[in-house]
Amino acid sequence: MRERLVIALSAVLLCLVPLVVPNYTLTLIVEALIFGLFAMSLDLMVGYTRLHSFGHAAAYGMGAYSTALILLHFNLPLPIGIILGVAISVVIAIPIAWICTKSTGVSFAMLTLAFAQLGYAMIFRFKDISGGSDGIGGIPRPAGPFGIDFFQSKSGYFYLVVFCLVGSYLLCRAIVTSPFGAVLTGIRENEAKTRALGYNTRAYKMAVVVMAYGFGSLAGALYTPFAGFVAPELFFWLVSGRVLIMVIVGGAGTLIGPILGGICFMLLEQQLSEVTELWPLIFGSIFIAFVMLAPDGIWGLLTKRFRSKQVVPGDGEDGETSRATP
Amino acid sequence: MPLLECRGLTRSFGGLVAVDNVNMAIEAGEIRAVIGPNGAGKSTLFNIITGVLPVSDGQTVFAGEMITGLPVYRVVQKGIARTFQLTHLFPDLTAHENVRIAAQAQHADRWRPLAGGHVLAASRKVADEALEQMRLSRFSGVKAGMLSHGDQRLLEIGMAIAQKPRLLMLDEPTQGLSIEETDRAVQILRDMLAKGDLTVILVEHDMEVVFKLADKITVLHRGRVIADGLPDEVKANDEVQSAYLGGLE
Repeated sequence: MRERLVIALSAVLLCLVPLVVPNYTLTLIVEALIFGLFAMSLDLMVGYTRLHSFGHAAAYGMGAYSTALILLHFNLPLPIGIILGVAISVVIAIPIAWICTKSTGVSFAMLTLAFAQLGYAMIFRFKDISGGSDGIGGIPRPAGPFGIDFFQSKSGYFYLVVFCLVGSYLLCRAIVTSPFGAVLTGIRENEAKTRALGYNTRAYKMAVVVMAYGFGSLAGALYTPFAGFVAPELFFWLVSGRVLIMVIVGGAGTLIGPILGGICFMLLEQQLSEVTELWPLIFGSIFIAFVMLAPDGIWGLLTKRFRSKQVVPGDGEDGETSRATP
Repeated sequence: MPLLECRGLTRSFGGLVAVDNVNMAIEAGEIRAVIGPNGAGKSTLFNIITGVLPVSDGQTVFAGEMITGLPVYRVVQKGIARTFQLTHLFPDLTAHENVRIAAQAQHADRWRPLAGGHVLAASRKVADEALEQMRLSRFSGVKAGMLSHGDQRLLEIGMAIAQKPRLLMLDEPTQGLSIEETDRAVQILRDMLAKGDLTVILVEHDMEVVFKLADKITVLHRGRVIADGLPDEVKANDEVQSAYLGGLE
């Protein structure tokens, strides 16, 4: 209940942001929100299913490039372009998920990384379409459908991003609390047992990978028309590494935590990079500190006080059950 | 027609034949114990029946349907539930969530990512009943990993029951339990078996437990069936005496 209140309140506060912050800051905030959405998408895999992807940049890059190409070559309204970009990415994600879920653990992480790097390499290979190392510039933000054009202004785009972020969050939340989500939790805790209960765990893992790529590509698709250009770096493994850190620092398995992680990470990076070139060093230290001291992440720290205590079974009065040692 | 029929089941690991041409027929409603010394192939037999391990040779027929070679989850979907020799749970989830996930596996809409409230509600109800049956209701909200070993064993059986199986396979349910815990577990199992028309295959080391629960006993020795029959017949069998029971008494 309290959580809901906090979320509703922060959504309202978010909507007031464009009215109070300067233009440049708004740009940063929009990018931060997009990265929050990106980090949340990875949380479906990392936090809920314990599928550690080291190639989530593939989702971002696919969403960004496919949206860029659609907006550039077809005269379609922006929302349609974004939706099509996500749809294309989801279709490409299906065979990727099929192959990656053939393995587990480190090899799963390596396979996801391999696909992201494959995307990176393909950008250079197909220069005619992708623009190679120059990327693609001049991506428009066409209005419509039905004459809707609020997203053509920066503050309007901000609201579009907030809408997508909140919508995706609510959708992901419904997914993780659904029967499907319960199976994911089972896979996270003990995959062999989950299979022995009669679940085709491979199919569930494939589904969650495709979903995570879908939401991740939405983040990429939102980035493209906002920045107006795409570059091959979007596929680069550093992006995958960063988003994984955001999930862990934010609090894996909470959805809201990775959103916060993504936002904080982006804003902090902007601030620090203006002050010092050594900002990656500071980030490294923050990451290590979180892993060692606060493994539940930012959200874990924030909600610690509100969480109900774990009920510990006492000695049964009737002596039916003896002890409850961990 | 028997509910489960094993025809010449064989499984070898390299040169070692762990399960050697096992024939076994289990009628619906029967409670069958599979006994034998360590390394007799009992757990391997469980694993090949449920599809955890592939067979080297032979067939398994369940309710008139060939299940050999099917993946585990398909075998389980046909109505076979099992527990493991080493407790297999979701330690970070509550006892209730553990059983709920098990119960959900039998629901047609178990896969739903959205609009699955009815699945959760139905599974919750089955979970409540299964926990009640295992007398674990008051630990419903406790993380499974925090329960005592005895309660964890019972919880795993509760999960198997929540799957509403036609055949329940228990792999040493009293393994590692104290005498009091064993008595309690046997009592709960007896109540459970007295109620329903469950068919059970039970692997067990504790002969007292076996003779209290089983209708029929199959004795494995070095992967082979050396005796098969009513408890008294098996007890009187010379080969069994020398291979197994004799060693204990």
